[in-house]
Amino acid sequence: MTKTKKKYRRNMFSWILLTPSLLFMGIFLILPFLLLLILSFHDVDKYMNTLSTFSLSQYIEVFTSPFYLGTIRSTLWVALLTTVICIVLAYPAAYLLVRSPNQGTRTMFYILLVSPLLTSVVIRTFAWIVILAQNGLVNEVLMKLHLINQPLTLLWNMNAVIIAYVQVMLPFAVLPIATSLGEIAPNLRQASMILGAGRLRTFVKVTLPLTIPGMISGAVIVFSLAAGSYITPLLVGGRLQPFLPLSIYQQVMQVSNLPLGAAMSLTLLLFVGIVVGVLGWILKRWEGRMNG
Amino acid sequence: MDNTNRTNLPKRRHKRRFSGWTTLVWVVGCLVYLFLILPIFVIFLSAFSPNAYPEFPPTGFSVKWFSAIVGDAAWSKALTTSIILLVIVTLVTVVLGTTAAYAIARLEFKGKQALQAFLLSPLMVPQIVLGIALLYLFTDMGIIGSMKGLIIGHVIVAFPYVLRTVGVSVSNLNPKLELASMNLGAGPVRTFFRVTLPLIKPGIVAGGVFSAVTSFGEVSISLFVSSPKTVTVPVRVFNYIEQTFDPAVNAVSVIFIAVAVVALIIIERTIGLTKVM
Repeated sequence: MTKTKKKYRRNMFSWILLTPSLLFMGIFLILPFLLLLILSFHDVDKYMNTLSTFSLSQYIEVFTSPFYLGTIRSTLWVALLTTVICIVLAYPAAYLLVRSPNQGTRTMFYILLVSPLLTSVVIRTFAWIVILAQNGLVNEVLMKLHLINQPLTLLWNMNAVIIAYVQVMLPFAVLPIATSLGEIAPNLRQASMILGAGRLRTFVKVTLPLTIPGMISGAVIVFSLAAGSYITPLLVGGRLQPFLPLSIYQQVMQVSNLPLGAAMSLTLLLFVGIVVGVLGWILKRWEGRMNG
Repeated sequence: MDNTNRTNLPKRRHKRRFSGWTTLVWVVGCLVYLFLILPIFVIFLSAFSPNAYPEFPPTGFSVKWFSAIVGDAAWSKALTTSIILLVIVTLVTVVLGTTAAYAIARLEFKGKQALQAFLLSPLMVPQIVLGIALLYLFTDMGIIGSMKGLIIGHVIVAFPYVLRTVGVSVSNLNPKLELASMNLGAGPVRTFFRVTLPLIKPGIVAGGVFSAVTSFGEVSISLFVSSPKTVTVPVRVFNYIEQTFDPAVNAVSVIFIAVAVVALIIIERTIGLTKVM
């Protein structure tokens, strides 16, 4: 058998292996979004029945109503805030992971990092309710210490959502940043310090730029998760928070205005797509600069 | 992560003074890890608490929340549904993910990166959007509320994890081993089953663990595509939290943590926790 023929057979085999996944993901990941796209251009009558006529009415409603515009703004704001907090907290956590004095400590840090990923989001959210409720842990401890007399209302606002979000999404920021940190040659930092830069300056001028790729990969995941989840905001923030995933949930599950729900879903997808795209572009430019 | 750099470092490291900055970073870092583990700690505290609300420090020890769920027909039905789903989803995802990861690693073609991004995209597509999109599709297909719909939804979200873990294993695989097998006369099919599969088994096992855990904990999509007949444990937990505060949920939560612990051990023993992301 000639070499090219062998290679052809191997490639053929690989394509055959790939086909089932392509079919499955093609049908169940692309098709539903096409249906959603078509649905979002439909009109509804006053009983929320989907009509067969097409128009931009749903998008016009989303982009002209002050309520939905405010919702979009606060959704992006919450996602941005969550991302920034996660990135800031991820650096010390990643540092500890990379610089752990021995294998045992390192494994322990990894267990702490990975275990949130393996626990269902409803369970983690439930724990935050237990912690932040009126008769929850935080209030109880504060009352026992006589720091407060009345329990504080910690749940049912966006701050609670951000706290729960940060805990849920922090590992997605820590792991890529730790990978970037681990790849930095130690003598780069030493060189910077020998040349007279302090620790802080070395961090800002040497370490930080070199961890930009890890930081951006982390930010992409955290931002898209924070902008698109609805379980945590629903349970910790409450139904009425101005948060796009919650509005979508309401339109579909309670109001049954499916086309409006579809239009809002695609709006959300669009915004997440833009942010992910911009971050990806920055990453590419940055890597190009670093390597060229 | 590469730790050869660290071990080769000169001993001089130890002489360096521990500066204020380093101490600060360690303190903050440790606080961050405490914050990460806080919810799990709290769940344990409340699951064994004699009162409906947890107390700190604990005042007593009780297993009454566990006895409240054992023998409850609705909880055990949800558990059965979740376990059947988990088994089917894991099998399907492992087969699809392993074959896809292997093929992508071995093929070179234009748009490979785009295809990879597409296959990993369920990790990043807003869950609410994916849930609603599948709700519409399954309603049209007439499988809304059935196990079929749940299986498909779970496979979509679990698929990227298998693709990743197996991808790591395949890229660590020495291609010469496969070439040797082929040169000795085995065809690509035989090589795949006799040489490649056994060598990438750790990645496959870890991927299987990830898809099992993902399926067992999945709620964002299940909530849209399940029906009262196919309620899973997380969906039931969700309904409970949303409507009432039932401390029995604490006991259910411990099941999830036990599953996570088993998963951690298997991942550490197979590809190692450091290779997860």
